Amino acid sequence: MSQLLTVAHLTKSFGPQPVLRDISFSLAAGQVLGVLGRSGCGKTTLLKILAGLETPDAGNVLLHEQDLLPVPPNERQMVYLYQEPLLFPHLNVFENVAFGLRIRKVPKAEADRQVTELLDELDLREHAQKAPHQLSGGQRQRVSFGRALIIRPRLLLLDEPFGNLDAQTRADMQQLFLHVSQQHHITSIFVTHDSREALTVGTQFAYLDRGELTSFATVHEFIADPRTNIQAELAFWENVQQNALLKKER
Amino acid sequence: MSSKLRSGKLLLGLYALLVVGLPLAGLGYALLGSVGVVGPLAAGFTGRYWLALGADTGLLKSALFSLWVAGASLGLSVAAALGLVLGAQATLRRRPFPTLLYVPLLMPSLVMGFYLFQLLSRAGWLSRLSFQLGLTHSLDAFPELVQDAAGGGIILAQVLLAFPFLTLLFQAIYQESRLDDYRQLTQTLGASAAQFRWRVAVPVLLRRAAPALLLSGIATLGAYDLPLLLGRPYPQMLSVYIATRLQRFDLRELPAAYLAGFLVAVGLLGLILVLIRLTRRHAF
Repeated sequence: MSQLLTVAHLTKSFGPQPVLRDISFSLAAGQVLGVLGRSGCGKTTLLKILAGLETPDAGNVLLHEQDLLPVPPNERQMVYLYQEPLLFPHLNVFENVAFGLRIRKVPKAEADRQVTELLDELDLREHAQKAPHQLSGGQRQRVSFGRALIIRPRLLLLDEPFGNLDAQTRADMQQLFLHVSQQHHITSIFVTHDSREALTVGTQFAYLDRGELTSFATVHEFIADPRTNIQAELAFWENVQQNALLKKER
Repeated sequence: MSSKLRSGKLLLGLYALLVVGLPLAGLGYALLGSVGVVGPLAAGFTGRYWLALGADTGLLKSALFSLWVAGASLGLSVAAALGLVLGAQATLRRRPFPTLLYVPLLMPSLVMGFYLFQLLSRAGWLSRLSFQLGLTHSLDAFPELVQDAAGGGIILAQVLLAFPFLTLLFQAIYQESRLDDYRQLTQTLGASAAQFRWRVAVPVLLRRAAPALLLSGIATLGAYDLPLLLGRPYPQMLSVYIATRLQRFDLRELPAAYLAGFLVAVGLLGLILVLIRLTRRHAF
């Protein structure tokens, strides 16, 4: 499989504090790299460097074998999504989603058609004329998705996008993300501190800790690594289940 | 009724009297004065002062001049403040720049007016300096920068007083609205710096600052001391025009002054109501 993104020996420090240490990985088109990492592990810095919003001290970032570092962020076609949806408060849902097309001066009729189609897909059609403050948390995050997807990004960079949502909405959004990713053949890097979320959305897996990234060849290796804490969590739930069974037998 | 409830109602009544009752009473007195019912030489109801309004263009010209001064002052202040906040973020965060912005806010407007008069009038420092340097052949050859027909001196003073306040206001909104994050987000969506400024930052800043801008514009419209010091006897801004008519020795002029005061107050109240509705409709 040809690699879309290749990151090699990426290093970044803020003053004397190293944030990213010799990070290397690659990602094929259409794949979702689920990166598990705790707070302060350097995940935001990594995503911002890929988006062009930060510059690395050393290392290379190649997209289709072409050096990406000299390319300004507005020409990379790589959308960085924050934990908060950051919808434009002065625009309604329709115009929020249309933003990327309006700044590219896509003819109005064509832009409106594309936005309407995407709103249908994201189940937001009936909210098209609403202001952002009239939406629920999940709806806002869907609008944020739509705003990113409409420009057909080459790479989607998601920085704990569902971190502020309740458990049920979060699960719904994960399913929506999976559906939309497959439908639009989106390549993305999805950073989360939740191992279940990483396992749900990822097709490739990595673990980021204190600026060091470990890539895993298979999902089994990812689960088996004690740092991901997945084994411990599995053992906990098995224990709970066994205890429940024992109580029932008594 | 408990004494606590009674004292609360009394306090509310006093407050209502202060903020609504007294201004309305003043407005009512002005209206009655304009129809000859009250005042030192009141001789009973008459509509002649209202009818004379059609022949007197002084009030209209004064209102138009005030609108021009308020609009130009507000426009220039907003443009300067937006320019600083959107074009010089790094400088704005660097000391001592934020502290320096507070200095004009501490200055009474009369002091600012006096300072500008000393600096820019034909007998002022700049005129004398330019004469000494041979740039002008006499003090009268120096251009009219204050007490000029276009109200340039008043506008300059209002801008100098308002733009630091608006800069601080826009900067606070910029940070509170996380416009730096929006800037980065719009960049990754493909927007240039100019597109971020015009399509996101300016609309967000102006909408959130709309009530303060409205108040600032109305304060300029009704300003008295700066137009008195830096303006011409003709055309005059509204406050000076009304005050001049009220202070004339001829008491027969009073009803016309009451009428002017009444119309200006009603006009301003109407303007405030319309603008408040507009800002509420577009608020978020």
